[in-house]
Amino acid sequence: MTEHSQPKAEVFNQNDAGNWLPLLLGAGAIGIVGSAICAFIPNLHEQFAYSWLFAFMYFFTLCAGSLFWILVHHATDAEWSVVVRRILETVAGLLPIALLFFIPALLCAPTLWKWWNIPHGADEVLDKKRWYLSHGFFVLRYVIYFALLSFVALSLKRHSTQQDADGKASHTISMRKFGVAGIPVFALSLTFGAVDWLMGLDYKWGSTMWGVYIFAGAAGSSMSLLVLIVTALKNKGYLNNVVTLEHYHIMGKLMFAFSVFWAYIGFSQYMLIWYANIPEETSYFIRRNVESWWYLSLLLVIGRFFIPFPLLLLQWTKKVPKVLCCVAGWIVLMQMLDLYVVIMPMLHKTGFSPSFIDLLALLGIGGTLGFLFLKALGKHNLFPTRDPRLPQSLQLTN
Amino acid sequence: MANHTATLDSDAAAVKRVPLIINDRKANWVTDNISTIVEAKTPIWWWVAFCITAPIALFGCFCIAYQISTGVGVWGENHPVGWAWDITNFVFWIGIGHAGTLISAILFLTRQKWRTSINRASEAMTLFAVVCAGIFPGIHVGRVWMVWFLAPVPWYNGIWPNFRSPLLWDVFAVSTYFTVSVLFWYTGLVPDLATLRDRAKSRVKKFFFTVFALGWRGSNRQWRHYEMAYLILAGLSTPLVLSVHSVVSFDFATSVIPGWHATIFPPYFVAGAIFGGFAMVLTILIPARLLYPQLYDVITQQHVEKMAKIILLTGSIVGYAYAMEFFVAWYGANPYEQWAFLRNRLADPYIIGPALHVQPAPYWWAYWSMITCNVIAPQLFWKKSWRRNTLIVFIVCNFVNAGMWFERFVIIVTSISRDFIPSSWHLYHPSWVEIWTFIGTFGIFLSLFLLFMRFLPMIAMSEVKIVLPEADPHHNAPDAHVGVEAHH
Repeated sequence: MTEHSQPKAEVFNQNDAGNWLPLLLGAGAIGIVGSAICAFIPNLHEQFAYSWLFAFMYFFTLCAGSLFWILVHHATDAEWSVVVRRILETVAGLLPIALLFFIPALLCAPTLWKWWNIPHGADEVLDKKRWYLSHGFFVLRYVIYFALLSFVALSLKRHSTQQDADGKASHTISMRKFGVAGIPVFALSLTFGAVDWLMGLDYKWGSTMWGVYIFAGAAGSSMSLLVLIVTALKNKGYLNNVVTLEHYHIMGKLMFAFSVFWAYIGFSQYMLIWYANIPEETSYFIRRNVESWWYLSLLLVIGRFFIPFPLLLLQWTKKVPKVLCCVAGWIVLMQMLDLYVVIMPMLHKTGFSPSFIDLLALLGIGGTLGFLFLKALGKHNLFPTRDPRLPQSLQLTN
Repeated sequence: MANHTATLDSDAAAVKRVPLIINDRKANWVTDNISTIVEAKTPIWWWVAFCITAPIALFGCFCIAYQISTGVGVWGENHPVGWAWDITNFVFWIGIGHAGTLISAILFLTRQKWRTSINRASEAMTLFAVVCAGIFPGIHVGRVWMVWFLAPVPWYNGIWPNFRSPLLWDVFAVSTYFTVSVLFWYTGLVPDLATLRDRAKSRVKKFFFTVFALGWRGSNRQWRHYEMAYLILAGLSTPLVLSVHSVVSFDFATSVIPGWHATIFPPYFVAGAIFGGFAMVLTILIPARLLYPQLYDVITQQHVEKMAKIILLTGSIVGYAYAMEFFVAWYGANPYEQWAFLRNRLADPYIIGPALHVQPAPYWWAYWSMITCNVIAPQLFWKKSWRRNTLIVFIVCNFVNAGMWFERFVIIVTSISRDFIPSSWHLYHPSWVEIWTFIGTFGIFLSLFLLFMRFLPMIAMSEVKIVLPEADPHHNAPDAHVGVEAHH
């Protein structure tokens, strides 16, 4: 490829997905049907509710994190990320579906969020915030997050794919506007989503850092997911003249930055709560630092920070896709562990207790979203072919 | 149809990159026009400005000497307000310094080439701000001759420093920050000092520039070492951007005082510091451009606009943090937390206080000044034409400067003046010594900056030359883009 030539447009051929499409669809169907059955078995209902919320939050944070990277791309008028933007758009485009998977959790609200069924007058603390923690407003907020995040994600994707067709620079301007205006929308939706769905699991506990903590995990893991998807596509022969080792280098640097950021936010939250030692606050960590949860909490600290940190600090690891993929896969797993440690101790107070329903819920939501992702990937070019910044992105040097 | 074509053209123009250095300036233009600021005869305005700032600085020093010789009783602190203007000023000045480190380190690592026009002045500003900041913890201890106790001198007097104290962490954080900032600033200066050495006409100047240029000849080998050192220093400085103000926030957040203890404090303080730092960078560089019109080609509207965007972003992050503090104070339903926010800060005598049937907060004016300056004023930057209007930018930046001082005052004083026990409540009023010590630090800061402008190149010449069109290897190639543009 000469310096000024454009690479040919590439569209993902569904045949290249091999057995993945039926596998994912099958896994999704088994997961959803299996989970649904568990939901109606009284002994398993509670476990289903928590497992479903865990799986939902995991995939939701991955999709929302991808939206974040698109917003940053447009708001900063970045060049490097043009070639990987369509992948991010496809993942973020799943947000409406991902958010629909919240509905089963909502149907289990009395099981998940203890405040749901506490009558007026029974708890003074709860009575003081009834208007916020009320059934109607809780549902309304979900509808607002759903509408806003879906609108931003789909609008960005629409403009981007239309630009492939007509090549108009006006789409770049529109996307920039969505990118900038989308940042406060994203920040507030993710924050209050995290407050409602996770912090609300213990309605007496609160931390001002909570939204930032969930964001830190979402951003780092979605960048890792991007590395995995790009590499999988390259292995199938796509994007080979488009995404270079220079792009890997930058993605690796951002994975590094957000591993450190996650640790910074997590440490700050933990240390300040430990130091001040106020009972209303320490309850969160006491619950997670006892019994076998202690080992998972430790694993999270080591796995989400101390393992990726030295690996990603080196330059060469970021430029060898296989190595970077190992770290990226690990971070994506650690994001799962993070949310597991956030959610599950509220159910299994006496210690870590894995359930097959966790797996069913993960398969159900993950399989469905994975199937839809592969389907969506085949509908448009794999990278924005007529983006005005594409030439600079192709010639990227670090 | 004509309109449609015009729209298409304007869209295409809007996505086109603008060169970082405008008017097609060449490398020798940069050398001549930046060096001349140092080489030319001292302008009259400089003497006028220095004659104003230096006496203010001196009076500030007098106030410090008076306080040290007499005791902290000359200040307005009382029980329970043990920290007031002293620590407010400390945090204010430390925060100012953050923009310099962000520009020199994080923007370097993220390859933001527009930083080259502003990094030198911002780094200098960082150092001077930290000098001003360092004064306050030193003198607020009262017996300043015992301040060395803060340093971990082992086993002297049989006392080890308390490593669990955030105040000790502060000493480490700030001294590390200052050390690395000096090294970074000086490393960047070396090639420019060599330029000034080669151009110097007087023997005295030649001597000093020769000594400080460390034998720089601009050889390939030297550049390789220089760039590696610069990269390493940028890598070392990047965590410092986060750590210093995080540790400063720990001074408050590790306590149990409502209004001080919030888990979001570390990133919130960091965002606020960058916010205030960029406002001060613009507060200084906008007038500097007026005084040296050649700088208009180097610090362009594009630079001002980018900084305005960072101010909008960080100001909004600060607004988010204020909102989260409020939300969680309310959500937590802790009466003391709610008191701190509603009755010590928010309730004004006109609207919110009467609406909620609560007495106005004694410092409501400080709180609402903070909100107006830090959250509302920067929102003007959503509008492109306003963030491209230098006057509006300058005014907003001064609002931010004031707002960031008020923020620290609000956090510190409103939280402790009325805490858990009403019988111990006491309002705080600053004494003239405190007020003039603070004003004096502005004198010190501005005097140092004037000296810097006079004796050292305030634009990183060697770095600016790298982003010139002629530094592009494809410059003058048949189908080359004209100019190195703002890469992201």
